[in-house]
Amino acid sequence: MNTPPATVRRKTGDLSKHIMIWAILALELLPFYMMIQISLKTNKMFYENTWLPALPQDWVWKNYVDAFHLIMPFVANSVVVSVTATVGALFFSLLGAYFFARYKMPGGNALWAAFLLLMLLPGVANIVTLFALLQSLNLLNTLWALIILGISGGQVFCIYVLRNFIEELPKDLFEAAEMDGASHLKQLIHVVIPMSGPIIGTLAILQFLGSWNDFLMPLVILRDPQLFTIGVGLIYLDGEYVKQWGSVMAAFFVASLPLLIIFLFTMKLFVRGLSAGAVKG
Amino acid sequence: MPLPISKTKALLEWKLYLFIVPSVLLIAIFSYYPTISAIYHSFFMWGGGDTKEFIGLKNFTDILGDKVFWTSFITIGILVIANVFRMIPSIFLAVLIHRLKSDRWQYWYRVMVVIPMIVPGLVTLFIWKFFFDPNLGVLNAALDASHLKTLLVHMDQFFGWGVFYEGVPTAWLGEPALIIPALIIWGFPWIGAVGVLIFLAGLQSIGTEVYEAADLDGVTPFQKFLHIELPLIMTQVRLSMVLMIIGTLQGFGLQFLLLGPDGGAGGRGMVPGLWMFNRAFIAGEFGYACALGLFLFVFILGLTWINNKFVKVDK
Repeated sequence: MNTPPATVRRKTGDLSKHIMIWAILALELLPFYMMIQISLKTNKMFYENTWLPALPQDWVWKNYVDAFHLIMPFVANSVVVSVTATVGALFFSLLGAYFFARYKMPGGNALWAAFLLLMLLPGVANIVTLFALLQSLNLLNTLWALIILGISGGQVFCIYVLRNFIEELPKDLFEAAEMDGASHLKQLIHVVIPMSGPIIGTLAILQFLGSWNDFLMPLVILRDPQLFTIGVGLIYLDGEYVKQWGSVMAAFFVASLPLLIIFLFTMKLFVRGLSAGAVKG
Repeated sequence: MPLPISKTKALLEWKLYLFIVPSVLLIAIFSYYPTISAIYHSFFMWGGGDTKEFIGLKNFTDILGDKVFWTSFITIGILVIANVFRMIPSIFLAVLIHRLKSDRWQYWYRVMVVIPMIVPGLVTLFIWKFFFDPNLGVLNAALDASHLKTLLVHMDQFFGWGVFYEGVPTAWLGEPALIIPALIIWGFPWIGAVGVLIFLAGLQSIGTEVYEAADLDGVTPFQKFLHIELPLIMTQVRLSMVLMIIGTLQGFGLQFLLLGPDGGAGGRGMVPGLWMFNRAFIAGEFGYACALGLFLFVFILGLTWINNKFVKVDK
């Protein structure tokens, strides 16, 4: 019998898997390859050469200059909305989660049920009446509307995750802090927050992604082009009739830059955050 | 678990209630109120402003005769079924990555799977919209270059679809018959980062010794999948299928971005959510839109209830 040792066999077997994975990933990443290579061409260069990138000396950096002019205001608005909404959502859900996790306060169970129920209720009918509500609150055509909706939209999921996490923390820590006369707010700041860095980071990434990718609410809320966030801004650009595809693709790339920067610094949290986000749906 | 607390101690700790007040106010105003308001307004003729007129069940009887709405239900049904098949590549990729021997490669492939997530979903959709463009679109160029176009033309002549012609660029989003196929094709090869990651998490519990035993028994790769891997990720598959169905039923961002608020040529891409949006923000019939939303709401809630009752997801 001349069978090769198991390890060798497995190595050769793995090669075909690597090839298949690369093939799938290549197709999956094709749109982003096209985005980047077209962003450095003029329309004429693109018609003449669809697939391959232009030579480096021919790269049309002007597309990026145009793109920056076009969408930097949108990106700035989106940064303001997403950062504020993320910080706000986490601040209030930390408070809320602490309430549920620390003691079995009277009425706590009923409130918890009210939160959990929202996980099951589909929000499909809300967009119509939310619009009317924001209208009567005089919040239409403001970034505040998006910030508040971002904060309130994150409450249920963040409180759900944080409550479970805070309950797992050792009770002695809270008791020791209480002995020292620390108020609940101090306990939250000095006991809970230092120990929950990764979970807060994960939730922050999910919140930020959700807020950054949102376009339906901004579309119905914002009228003023100066207030457009990236979502509406791109829809607005898409509506233009004659397109310089190079600058459009460059604008797409610029719209992805903030997320790319976050990704580079928080790759591990990102991967974990997305696995956790599956539960959120 | 939270510590039990006596009534008297709870009174002393009343300040703790201040912690929950902001969250409760937020969800009461921005989650519960809109839902209740939608139920209330579904009985009115309402344009979104202060004036409204009570019309009883008329909105609901109108729904019964609303052809667009029922057609949109068929469309969304097709898309839900297609989305079940669109999950297969993610499962396949997760299994492939899991079967690799090298942990380092597993990690890097996982990172590469996540990369599309850093591009806003909207941008990905717009790139696909550009791919679908009849004249400069990359999809037509690819079909021409690979001669798949010729195959499609032959199939067209055979089946009589009347959509593919030699030398004529295919208008993927302009030809009514191609709208649903386009809504299914986009995003090929349909790798969902979140899906792959949770399937991988499920596969993690399979030890190497299981594979070694299977190898000794001469089990084929496909049998390994059926008997070892699939049973272990069944929970995750079911969970993501439920979330996918609920998400597809109420979502309409995809259709809105690719086709606009009217559902594209001939309204063939119209889905229930988009019709609700259309009635409210294009036609100004807010009351009717509330009734449509409510109908969908009850439908999805019913599915959720059936799922929780009959499909056991062990966690």
